[in-house]
Amino acid sequence: MQLETKPNVQTGTKQKKDWKKWVIHLFPIPALAIYVLFIIYPLFAAFTYSLFDWQGIKRGAFIGIENFISLFTKQPFNDMFWNAFQNNILYFVLEMIVQNGIAFVLAYIIYKKVKGAEFFKIAYFLPRLLSVIIVGFLWKLILNPNFGALNVFLNKIGLESWAKPWLGDPDTALIAIILVNSWFGLGFAVLIFLAGLQGIPTNLIEAARLDGAKGLTLICKIILPLMAPAITIITVLTFIHAFEAFELVYAMEGSMGEPYYSTDTLAVYFYRLAFGGSGGASSVAIGLGSALAVVLFTIIATISAVFLYILRKREVEM
Amino acid sequence: MKRMLSKFLGALLLISLVLVGCSSETDGDETGSEDGVVLTIGSWRTEDTAAYEKIIEAFNEEHPDIKVEFKPSKNTEYNTILNTALQSGEGPDIIQLRPYAPGMELAKAGYLEPLDELNGIDVFSEEVISAATSDDGKIYGVPLSLNSAQMFYNKKIFEEHGLEEPKTWDEFIELNEKLKEEGVTPIALGTKEGWLLSLAHSIVGPAHYGANDFVDQITTGEKTFTSDEFVSSLKAMDELKEYFPDNYEGLGMEDIRTLFFSGKAAMFPLGSWEIEVLREMNPDLELGFFPMPSAVGKEPTMTTWVDGSYGLNANSKHKEEAKKFLEFMTTEKFAKLFSDELMRIPAIPGVETDDELVTKMAEASEQYSTAYMMLVHFNEGNPTTKAALEAELQGMYLGEQSPEDVAKKLQKNAKTYFTR
Repeated sequence: MQLETKPNVQTGTKQKKDWKKWVIHLFPIPALAIYVLFIIYPLFAAFTYSLFDWQGIKRGAFIGIENFISLFTKQPFNDMFWNAFQNNILYFVLEMIVQNGIAFVLAYIIYKKVKGAEFFKIAYFLPRLLSVIIVGFLWKLILNPNFGALNVFLNKIGLESWAKPWLGDPDTALIAIILVNSWFGLGFAVLIFLAGLQGIPTNLIEAARLDGAKGLTLICKIILPLMAPAITIITVLTFIHAFEAFELVYAMEGSMGEPYYSTDTLAVYFYRLAFGGSGGASSVAIGLGSALAVVLFTIIATISAVFLYILRKREVEM
Repeated sequence: MKRMLSKFLGALLLISLVLVGCSSETDGDETGSEDGVVLTIGSWRTEDTAAYEKIIEAFNEEHPDIKVEFKPSKNTEYNTILNTALQSGEGPDIIQLRPYAPGMELAKAGYLEPLDELNGIDVFSEEVISAATSDDGKIYGVPLSLNSAQMFYNKKIFEEHGLEEPKTWDEFIELNEKLKEEGVTPIALGTKEGWLLSLAHSIVGPAHYGANDFVDQITTGEKTFTSDEFVSSLKAMDELKEYFPDNYEGLGMEDIRTLFFSGKAAMFPLGSWEIEVLREMNPDLELGFFPMPSAVGKEPTMTTWVDGSYGLNANSKHKEEAKKFLEFMTTEKFAKLFSDELMRIPAIPGVETDDELVTKMAEASEQYSTAYMMLVHFNEGNPTTKAALEAELQGMYLGEQSPEDVAKKLQKNAKTYFTR
């Protein structure tokens, strides 16, 4: 079409260039097709599913937002929702403090070029290469109350009273899982923080030093503001990850969020509601499950957007 | 550039040809090649594959023209995989059904063919066939095997401490006390995995709520979960925690099994399917079992229920052939093969097995049978009442609530669907 509108001065090479521009747009098609098929379509499918009444796996009548109403007003659905929601929030807060806090310290140490920095960078990232199921299994062994490495160690050094059934005690189970997840995600956070640190122009830091800034002042006043983009990314990713938390809980505590729902998260609750959990822990309720999926999506999308908006405003131009 | 485009199109063409090739190949699989029909069996028993090969071989002696493929998927994923396949009008020809309500959900959704007319379906007792009978009164499955849950014990430990199989509940508590005093963990049970708790309750509970009489009363609505009988069964569960291993809150299936087969714990409240595993882990283990003595002056009890049955996919293209295989599953020949290969109690009555312990358990199951009440009658709801019992018992063991609270919550849960 373009060729027809300006027909007079087209040379051969120009034609080729236009063609090249056009063909480039074809390349995303395979990826886009997969994205539409597996992300966009299920999203809309879940939304339509949530508006129907389901008998087991058979779709019944259109019932509007009744599933959403049941989810928030009917017991035990509402209790389970808020319980899981609180657990997700604890997941997010603890990960921000423990995983990202430690990751920043480690990234800063590596950035200062301590001996063997490269080795540490790789070492911290290693857990990330394991499958989550393996990580869960491994830590289940370590945290086993009777022969697990942690309790054996505590007993050996005379701290018997500290030894606990970590994954069986509702006071420690969720925290244990979040800490395992922090161990797992640490390397990734270190890499992002490190990239942020390395992106700061050295002359800015030099200048600050000359003005007498050092230690904590340097970090808080100069470095942290300058690596705000990295903090934005980490915060939003951690939030999304915390609200999607499923694999580790499922691997370590099963689809009931055992013990006594103390490790239940929204995603685990969704699995139980929509698919009946493992071994049929609950009747299949696709309508309610889909409603929960839509709610979960809405929570993640809006809060992530709010985070992005607030944190982006705080970023400084370099 | 043009050459690039033609290469690109060529590649596309090639890919689509390959894809078409693949799909036509699978089509061929489903509709059968020229040498006969191919039936597929869906199941959650991946560990039974070798045994089914032998069973299929025996079937082919009579029907050499029907090829049968056993295609199991992982236990915990089975429901999801099956449901998805059925929704899109596919799925295996012969479907292994979960027992009782969850399996019959498929019948209600119209995915199963009724089997009332199947030759041989009348060999099963009424109690057994009820596991595969839907609310409309039609039979949708051929029951496969019986499970029983009972207290296993280590004969050697009992001998060493001069103990005998208890005949009354008090004797049972006494022997627990004695074992505890003498430094042996009496009962290998952990509360970390909920399903172990509902199973243990199915063994201990009937001794307190009075077995089948109470089951009749609660299913007709005469009694409820808050009735004294049921509350006392929960209290008994609570009392038994004295005899559990250290740190029982954190112990799961693997842990308690290890405690038992390694001789560190004397008793093990679990299902008949554990025999094979226990023997594999420790071939020297002297395994015994006893029916649970009643605390309310009734007969001792063996908790028995049907574990799965085989149904016929309503969308199957080979219903006649599949029915032949299902008919084969009602024969003694199949039952004998099944029990010998898998050391399980077949659903067909009166089949002798090669294994002494299994035979003894089958006999005791017939004599002292009581239903796994939560699985047979209360496996519905969100969560199911059975799953609610599991979670709430966990809460009780963690000291967050009393047995009475558990009973109240169960009653509330059951009310959502149980309206008698």
